[in-house]
Amino acid sequence: MTAVFAYRSPTQRTELLSLLADSGEQARVMAGGTDLLIDMRNGVAHPELVVNLKNVEGFSAMSWSDTEGLIIRPGVTVNDVLFDARIREDYPLLIACARDLASHQIRNRATVIGNVVNASPCSDMAPALLCLGARAVISSKAGQRVVPFTEFFKGVKRTVLRPGEILEEVIVPATAAAGRGAYCKLKRIKGHDLGIVGVAVMRQNGSLRLGISSCAPTPVLVADLSSTAPVDTIVAAARGAVNPIDDLRCTREYREHMVEVFVRRVLKEVA
Amino acid sequence: MSEHTNGSAMKSVGINHPRLEAVSKVTGDALYTGDMVMPGMLHAKVKRSPHARANIVGIDTSKAEALPGVHAVLIGHDLDYRLGLYVVDKDILAKDVVRHFGEAVAAVAADTVEIAERAVELIDVEYEVLTPILDPKDAIKPDAPLVHPDLGSYSFVEAAFSPQPGTNVANLTRMRKGDIEKGFAESEWIIEREYTNPSVQHVPMETHVVIAQWKTGDEVTLWTSAQSPFTVRSLFCSAMRLPLNQVRVVVPHVGGGFGGKAGIHLEPLVACLSRKAGGRPVKLQATREEEFSLLPCRSALTYKIRTGVGSDGKILAQRMTMYWDAGAYADYAVNVTRASSYSAAGPYEIPNAWVDAYTIYTNKPYGTAYRGFGHVEFFWGLERHMELVALAIGMDPLEFRRKNLLHPGSITLTGETITDHTGNVRKCLDEAAKAIDYGTLTPGEQERQARTGRLIGKGLATLHKAPAMPSFTATAVVVKMNSDGSVVVNLALSEIGQGSATAVGQIAAETLGFPVSKVKVAIETDTDKEPYDWQTVASKGLILSGNATVLACEDLIKQAYEVAAQVLRCNPIDLDHDGEKVFVKHHPQASVTFAALSIGYAYPNGNGIGGPLVGVGRYTAQGLSNLDKETGQGFPALDWTYGAHGVIVEVDPETGEFDVIKIASVFDVGKVINPGLVRGQCVGGMVQGLGTAVCEGYIYDEQGHLLNPSFTDNKIPTAKDLPEQIESIAVETAQLDGPFGARGVGEHPMISVAPALGNAIHQATGAELVHMPIRFEDVWRAMRSMEPIDNSITKSPVGSCRSVEVSRPSLGERAVPKTEPVTVG
Amino acid sequence: MKISVTVNGHLYERNVEDHWTLLRFLRESVGLTGTKEGCAAGECGACTVALNGKTVNSCLVLAAEADGGAVDTIEGEAHDGELSSIQAAFTRNHAVQCGFCTGGMIMSIKDLLRRNPKPSVDEIKAAIEGNFCRCTGYVQIIEAVLDASGQLTPATKGELEYV
Repeated sequence: MTAVFAYRSPTQRTELLSLLADSGEQARVMAGGTDLLIDMRNGVAHPELVVNLKNVEGFSAMSWSDTEGLIIRPGVTVNDVLFDARIREDYPLLIACARDLASHQIRNRATVIGNVVNASPCSDMAPALLCLGARAVISSKAGQRVVPFTEFFKGVKRTVLRPGEILEEVIVPATAAAGRGAYCKLKRIKGHDLGIVGVAVMRQNGSLRLGISSCAPTPVLVADLSSTAPVDTIVAAARGAVNPIDDLRCTREYREHMVEVFVRRVLKEVA
Repeated sequence: MSEHTNGSAMKSVGINHPRLEAVSKVTGDALYTGDMVMPGMLHAKVKRSPHARANIVGIDTSKAEALPGVHAVLIGHDLDYRLGLYVVDKDILAKDVVRHFGEAVAAVAADTVEIAERAVELIDVEYEVLTPILDPKDAIKPDAPLVHPDLGSYSFVEAAFSPQPGTNVANLTRMRKGDIEKGFAESEWIIEREYTNPSVQHVPMETHVVIAQWKTGDEVTLWTSAQSPFTVRSLFCSAMRLPLNQVRVVVPHVGGGFGGKAGIHLEPLVACLSRKAGGRPVKLQATREEEFSLLPCRSALTYKIRTGVGSDGKILAQRMTMYWDAGAYADYAVNVTRASSYSAAGPYEIPNAWVDAYTIYTNKPYGTAYRGFGHVEFFWGLERHMELVALAIGMDPLEFRRKNLLHPGSITLTGETITDHTGNVRKCLDEAAKAIDYGTLTPGEQERQARTGRLIGKGLATLHKAPAMPSFTATAVVVKMNSDGSVVVNLALSEIGQGSATAVGQIAAETLGFPVSKVKVAIETDTDKEPYDWQTVASKGLILSGNATVLACEDLIKQAYEVAAQVLRCNPIDLDHDGEKVFVKHHPQASVTFAALSIGYAYPNGNGIGGPLVGVGRYTAQGLSNLDKETGQGFPALDWTYGAHGVIVEVDPETGEFDVIKIASVFDVGKVINPGLVRGQCVGGMVQGLGTAVCEGYIYDEQGHLLNPSFTDNKIPTAKDLPEQIESIAVETAQLDGPFGARGVGEHPMISVAPALGNAIHQATGAELVHMPIRFEDVWRAMRSMEPIDNSITKSPVGSCRSVEVSRPSLGERAVPKTEPVTVG
Repeated sequence: MKISVTVNGHLYERNVEDHWTLLRFLRESVGLTGTKEGCAAGECGACTVALNGKTVNSCLVLAAEADGGAVDTIEGEAHDGELSSIQAAFTRNHAVQCGFCTGGMIMSIKDLLRRNPKPSVDEIKAAIEGNFCRCTGYVQIIEAVLDASGQLTPATKGELEYV
């Protein structure tokens, strides 16, 4: 179904936030468009106004700060991340998760921020950001608030964002740099597919964090695991944190089994 | 006919010539139906049923008709026409009842796509939702609700089909050979198993699309992405009650068909919209979601096979029962049933055989022709069965197959005798086995297995298919000479990507003795201009149209010689020719160019003789006959193309994840006209076969809603899904009545890929897979003897997938060699 | 709204609806039909074009987003009537069957070779992962890319074997 809507592309941050405040539920923000345009075509989203935020001054840049870390802004695409030499150095887990997200063409458009705002339980970027301890900087005309990603996801395709708010920055902390990371994603084919089960791990300074997708209504973090703990203990912790379902893609049984298998695999990779 | 080769190497046939229309395709110049825009063209949209089975209580189109920009609205009761290739069971738009999810109940033509969609939304349909009948085994129970209560009143092709009124059986085909009870009585072992596979979609990259114009005076033009322009015309005229010479069907470039575009689909609806809109051209392009549910798919199949084997490993008796889940309409499915029946035992010699094949109506999107015409579906069961039987009786699967393969002198299920030149299935099987070092792990494979912990297994499967077509199928080809001595070939066999135009061009070039560069094969087909061809299906094009091309070229040369003989004052028998001219054999300087003859010869004094050189060739399948409706005996096969696949697979025993290390595919093609094209069919078909084997399949909920009508959950292979190594191998046992000895191979590469893979996985892990697709999870379950999952009808999107009840004795209990036969399974 | 887009080096100023996709703009407004719609959902890649130097599924880009930008489509690949090296390699290696995926496929490959002039087979597969082909089974397409990048050798070129 061809969605019909009006389009605006503000170039200033204040303009964007005002527009969103005034439009409320009638407007949807578009970053890469790779989720929004499909949702509109399927009738799941039917905004009267689509607001492109990629042309807002400063919104397409990544920046680095010694204190804060990596700051990702709304226009930064998954390929921007994947091809960035410094990210490859400092946050290999981001690369591991980005690499398996859809196809090259999609990654040229899909944004990191858009992916987590879409909040699919199958998100590829969310497990990475959870493991890395990233923070969400949420802005609106009224002001700004910061939320750790552990509190960002509320349910299937639901986040803490309120009408008029945007996720303006994702801050990946400097302290997480040079942690070792790995990501295992179960797909139905070797080609591009959404995740049936996804397990990410970050290992740093004797501790482990697991980010698991497609096994609960939201992506799940299992934190504060010791890297010296027995593998079986870690596997059990992961198993206990997820609640997979049967659906047309996979049974609960197999998802549970594969979570365990993948935890072992990613642990081996970062050993 | 095999062609004159003069004993010397051929210059065009057998050569790896680039595809003739490649340039127009790599530049984006090639026009497909969806690219075309006609003056005044309107856009159509269809309203589709959200229910699998329902009564239409009322339809209100008033708001849609009032919307500015809407030119036509149609509902079922506006159209008094019936459609059906073999059983006339379908209305153009549903009338009173909907029979499948996605069925069209109304249609609109409007100025823009947006207006048409809005109008569709404004059409109010009131449904009385009924419980659908989804499982074919339920549909044939005596108390099952009827999908077609009026089946008894439908007209149908009586020579070939047997619908059963008062039931959901659209057709029952029987095959009876020998004495089956005696065969079983003499058997040492009897093994019976059942195999299933779901519906899949063809997924041509170009969805179905039509532009139709129904002008005042009932002159109709249809531009359509179709495989068979003449079938579109004849079915259209038959349904619309129009004379054939008032309807013109034009087929530009086609973006893939795979059987899904073999018949008639959207054309009648769109034409009726055009008529209602006062003769404006109307375009309807199916969305990808409509392709998956409005347009038809491939029937699902449950195949039960009961085999009796003698103590020496020879098959003595086989009883085959096929339950074809055809969905809501019979379309091609009844013929898929019939064509599969006479092929159902595979390339094996079975002295006593019964086949009972049912085409069963259910409330699901219906099955149409699909590459392989039933063979991909039933060879899954058949070649898994051969493997399981061999294992049950303790015989190596390759030896068991060899022992039972057809060979010269064998009699097929229909009573045909196999000869030296039918094709060499034994060679195909042996070469496939050799290509994968079947029966052993090489040192490299052993090292790999030890290092990775993943188990390596090897599997084989054979295949055969003859074209499923009327016994009197015919075609004609016209070759016209241009005034510069080049030629244009016209034929209605459609180039849908398979390379038929190029193959025909090479055959023409070889027969004429011209370079291929002088041969143009017209790509766009037009029923006003091209001579008749039945359909572009069945892998029959190369033989029938290839032969007709040879005859047309010979006819052209004969005409040229007749005029040249006058010019050169000799007997035509004294003449020969090369790429440029006709000359007297013993005085070659006495010559006249083709160019000078091409549109009539002019003497220096101005006299003219001859005329435009137009060669016509016509060829009909020779000696084929109908099958007896009770016994299935007859001679249906234009030719048999045999083949085999060998697969090496690597399986993770912990998870069921697997990778195909190698696939080697062998086909007896008679004569390779173009190795690049043959390889293209081999690899393309193999990958499509892998898709059907591992990731494709329609999934419904228990209300009959299709849960995966898009690429999100209906996956097809990508470039990353290729096996590590792929080999394509050709055997050339000449088809004596094929052009230069060639026979077709368009469908065959897809057949038997799935069971070859299933056999390899079984060999590696003991996983007894009996259902397609083979997902990692299915391998994992089978390895642990867990209940298998048949995901094709699932309980609900959130909730457990229903496990199929299967009684499965473990392999060790399968069969015991005794003096008395033991029945198991 | 009015947009100005450079397509294959030519500037087009057109009025489009706000909701039009770039794919629809190219096909209906500019009249370049070599870019196809296969799914309208960013899965199949038949609509692949380069937007400001990056390959995208044009079915998921709004025409408005291309305003002021540059788009390259398959129609811009040949120059002065001469096929590009990729196009020539496609015709030599049977990388085309029905042709419907071909425009988008070539755009993805062009982008790959720009980034990586000598890609490995795995890199080629990753680059065309988002371009479905139902006809060829991809092998002859991969060989065409190896050919176009000067890497096709007897070892990497498959052939039909005769026995």
